[in-house]
Amino acid sequence: MHISEGILSGGMLAAGWAGTVAGVSFGLKHTESDKIIRTALVSSAFFLASLVNIRIGPSSTHISLLAPMGLLLGYSVFPAVFTALLLQAVLFGFGGLVVLGANTIVMGLPALMCHVIFGKTVRDGRGKTAALMSFIAGAFAVMMGAGLSGVFLGLSDRNFLGAVKLLMIAHVPLALVEGVVTSFLIMWLKKSVPEFLS
Amino acid sequence: MTRAVYTLEIPSEALAVSIKYSPVAAIISAVIYAVAVSVSNTLPSLILASIMPVTFLVMKRFPLSHLVSINVFNLVMILTLALTWPNLIDALIMGIIIALRVNMIVITFGTMVYPMGTSGIYAAMSSLHVPVKLRVLAILTLRGVNTLRESYETAINSVRLRAPRLHGIIRLKVFAYMTGTILLQSFLRSENMMKSVKCRGGFGGFIQAENERLSAGNVAMIAGFFAYGMSIAVMNYA
Repeated sequence: MHISEGILSGGMLAAGWAGTVAGVSFGLKHTESDKIIRTALVSSAFFLASLVNIRIGPSSTHISLLAPMGLLLGYSVFPAVFTALLLQAVLFGFGGLVVLGANTIVMGLPALMCHVIFGKTVRDGRGKTAALMSFIAGAFAVMMGAGLSGVFLGLSDRNFLGAVKLLMIAHVPLALVEGVVTSFLIMWLKKSVPEFLS
Repeated sequence: MTRAVYTLEIPSEALAVSIKYSPVAAIISAVIYAVAVSVSNTLPSLILASIMPVTFLVMKRFPLSHLVSINVFNLVMILTLALTWPNLIDALIMGIIIALRVNMIVITFGTMVYPMGTSGIYAAMSSLHVPVKLRVLAILTLRGVNTLRESYETAINSVRLRAPRLHGIIRLKVFAYMTGTILLQSFLRSENMMKSVKCRGGFGGFIQAENERLSAGNVAMIAGFFAYGMSIAVMNYA
């Protein structure tokens, strides 16, 4: 889901940074000092989880865990995603610094939307309802991320729209896997440490 | 500006060593160059832009082997464009332009910015007046990655030893539960860390680095990159 350096137009790079500055400022405003350490360590745990490859059929993929991040961190998710992507760029060369703004929007906005749309239902729901909503949240986050990548690419150059369709189709199996993992993870947390979701 | 009282991650003196040029100047210069390259799509401007990364390669400042995985991705990208664009020739030209841009930006950042590591980046964040909360978050996230990595490796090895032939939905379930366990550990660890931070006076003294004043040499470096970037842009639109 990372957009690589050198692909986006100057306008889209600027738009990505403008959105990221707004999102991170909003997130920091809603992050109390007492919660910074928790936000950082949860972000680290997700960062590490996203480095683990899972085999699916003949290939393997890594899970993004955007939906659980949004559901656990709430409005603090934007700064957490920004920080994780900054570290990924510096430590592993994934994405890049110039395109960091666009990548933060692509991954931070779906996570934030998961909190806004599904947060209450997942927290208060019971049994199958919560599991189903978690599944939908997980799949939704991946597809929205792919869709936002498509928006950035399509607005950079209309000729990318064909590749964007391919990108969306390729993300469908990943969305299903992400939904299943999110569902299991959220149900485990609801049973073991319900205060974690509060 | 509050002086550093203590840090949880990097000793303050470590921020100033092993960096030949100012981190802020290096980041600003590299970003100016990268933005100029990102908007370039003509042959003359790309040739002008390639002078610096080629120089880095000739001087062996950046290992060629680091470009292999990037160019595998570029080949896939060119193939995708060739299959999806209305015109094959246009698709190939666009694919090659993007591949050149990616290589040039990666070589530049790989030579000027990434070797300074997280300590240099944090020093630059401080000088660029990035909010304290975000800097603290970044430092604690890196610390969390380092401390939780061992737990993750142990969990993965444990799963491999106890159930080496996992497949299907069970594999996903195990992964989810393993992640849940690590999250629980991170939650408990964060509670303890918060208590220790409070014992030491809270976040009042958490600022890591003092703002850096750019030397004349560093200002000249930024100005040089600005002129180089402007030349690339002018050549592109001329």
